[in-house]
Amino acid sequence: MASADKPINTDVPEKDVFALHFLQSLSNLRRQNAFNSPDDTTNNRVKKIKKAAYVSMARAAGGTNRLWSRALLRRAAKENNKVVIFSRRKKRVTWLRRSNRRDPVDAERLRNLLPGGGAMETSKLMEETAHYIKCLSMQVKVMQCLVDGLSAK
Amino acid sequence: MDVSEKDELRNGDTTANYDDESANNNNPPPDWRVSGSNQVSAPNDSYPPENQMMDSFGQTLWGNNNMDRSLEMGWNLLPPKGNGMFLPNASSFLPPPSMAQFPADSGFIERAARFSLFSGGSFSDMMNHHHQQQQQQQPLGNPTESIGLFLPSNVGVAHNDASAAMKESNVVRSSEQGNKQNVPGSGNVSEDTQSSGGGGGNGQKGGEASSKGFDSKKRKRNRQSSEAGQSHRSQQSEEEADNNGDKKRNDEQSPKSQGNKTNSGKQTSDPKDGYIHVRARRGQATNSHSLAERVRREKISERMKFLQDLVPGCNKVTGKAVMLDEIINYVQSLQRQVEFLSMKLATVNPQMDFNLEGLLAKDALQLRAGTSSATPFPQNMPMVYPPLPHGFMQQTLSSMGRNISSPLSPINGGYKRQEANGWEGDLQNVIQINYGAGDVPPDSQAAAAAAAATAASLPSSNMKVEP
Repeated sequence: MASADKPINTDVPEKDVFALHFLQSLSNLRRQNAFNSPDDTTNNRVKKIKKAAYVSMARAAGGTNRLWSRALLRRAAKENNKVVIFSRRKKRVTWLRRSNRRDPVDAERLRNLLPGGGAMETSKLMEETAHYIKCLSMQVKVMQCLVDGLSAK
Repeated sequence: MDVSEKDELRNGDTTANYDDESANNNNPPPDWRVSGSNQVSAPNDSYPPENQMMDSFGQTLWGNNNMDRSLEMGWNLLPPKGNGMFLPNASSFLPPPSMAQFPADSGFIERAARFSLFSGGSFSDMMNHHHQQQQQQQPLGNPTESIGLFLPSNVGVAHNDASAAMKESNVVRSSEQGNKQNVPGSGNVSEDTQSSGGGGGNGQKGGEASSKGFDSKKRKRNRQSSEAGQSHRSQQSEEEADNNGDKKRNDEQSPKSQGNKTNSGKQTSDPKDGYIHVRARRGQATNSHSLAERVRREKISERMKFLQDLVPGCNKVTGKAVMLDEIINYVQSLQRQVEFLSMKLATVNPQMDFNLEGLLAKDALQLRAGTSSATPFPQNMPMVYPPLPHGFMQQTLSSMGRNISSPLSPINGGYKRQEANGWEGDLQNVIQINYGAGDVPPDSQAAAAAAAATAASLPSSNMKVEP
C-alpha cells in the first residue's frame, strides 16, 4: 500500500560544478553575440543572463534527475522554440495514485514558485523544494563570487 | 571500629530512609539489619581508609534523603579517585528510596540474604576486587552487571525503574565503554541493588567464588538484555518477540509519544518487498484510506522538518501553515537574489568579455599539461579530450573566488565554436563543435577544455568533436 520510504536525498554538487556551468553558459551567450543586437537593452541582457543562470543551475544540479530541473529546462527550451528530449535512464512509472488527489489549496503558492510544481504530489513537492533551495543558494553564491571578482578588477 | 561505623550507618540508614519502603522488602531489610551486626569479617580490615571515608560519607551523605543527588555526587567522585572512593559511596547508599520490590523468588531471597551478610566494607572489598580484576575494562561495568542480576524482568514500577536504569546502564555500557558514562547509570542501579545488600558481592573471600558464579549468571542475563537493548536501538524496531518487558520499559523510558510503538512498527520496514507495513494506531480508524492518508501526512511532516532545517531561522516556527509561508518567502528571496545578481553582472561587465576562456584554459592547461604558468598556452598541444579531473573545477572556482585579478592572456573569442541550438544543445545530448580553420592552438585548447568540461559534467551527453 505504501511505497518504500527511502531517505530523502538532496545532495547538491559542489560549488565548482555550478560555477563551471554558469561560466560556460555565459561564455556561450557571449559567443552567440547575444548582446550585440540592436535591441540590447539592459533589461534584455539581464533577462538573458538570468535565464542562463537558471538553466545552468538546472543542469548543474541534477540535469534530468530532478523534476524541477527538468521542468525548468523544458520551459527554457520552449521559450526558444526548441524541443527538448530527455533521455530517461530508468523507466519511471507515474500512475495516478489515489492519494494524488491532494487538497488543492495545499501549498499552492509553493507550487507556483517551484518550476514544475503543479504536477507533483505534496510530499514530492517538499522534497523538490528542498533540493531547489539548496541549488538556488549555491547558484547565488557562485554569482556573488563572480560579481565580486569582476567588480574588484 | 568498623563494626561500629557500620552500625552507625545502618541505624541512620534505617531510620532515615528505610522505613518508608514497604513493598516486599521486608525480608531483605531485616536480614540486612541483623546480619550487619554479625559481620566482623577480615576484609574490612584491609580497608581502613575506606571505612573512614565511609564514615564521613555516611554522615554527610546519609543526611539527605535525596538519594539521587548524593548518588550522583558519589558517582561523580568515583572516576577521578579510583577504587577507594567508589566503594564507600556505593556502600553508603544502602537502602535506596526506590528500593525495588524484589520479587519473591526464593532463590532471589536466598541470594539477598547471602549478600546481606556483608557490610559496606565487604561490598567495597568485593567491588574493589572486581575493579582490580578488570581494571582495563569497564570497572564499573562489573558492578552494574552484578547488580543487574537482581532485577529480573517482570516486577512492578520501581523495578521498572531499576531495570530501566539497569538497561540504561547496560545500554550505556555497551554503547560506550568508558567509565564516566557508566557511572551515572550504574549509580542508579546500585541504588536499588544496595537495598538487597549489594548487587554483586558476598563476603570477600567466601563470597568471591559465589559472586563469580553470580556474576556469570548476571552477565549472561545482562548480555541478553543488553543485546536486546542494542538490537532495539540498532534496528529501531521493537520486535514484540524479543524481550517484551524490556521493550516496554524502553518505551516508557523514551521520550517519544504514545505513537512510538506504532511508528516503529511502521518502520520495521521490510525492504525486500519495498513496502512499509503500517499498523493502525490504537483507537484510530483502520480504513485503508485513512491509513494511507496517515502515511501521506507523516511523509509530508517529515519533509517539512527537513525543510525546516534548510531554511534559516525556522527552528521556532511550528505549524504547517507558518512553515510553508516561511519556505515560500525564502524561495522567493533566493530567486530575487538571483535576479539581482544577474542584473549586477550585466552592468558590471557590459561587453561580457569575461576572460572566461582564459580562466578555463589556464586551469585546464595547468592541470593537463602540468606546465609552468609562464607560457600557459603551449603551442603544440594536441587537441585531446581528457576526462577532466575534479581538481579542474576546484581550481576554476578557487581562481574565481580569488577575485580574478590576473587575467593571464586574454583570449577574446577568437575561435569559432558552433553549438547546435546554442546552449541548449546540451539538452539534446549532442554537441557538435566545429573548430574553424586556422585555429590558434590556445583557442583550441580552451575550446577543448571547455568541451571536455562540458562532457565531463554531462555524463549522458554524446559529444562529437569535429576538428
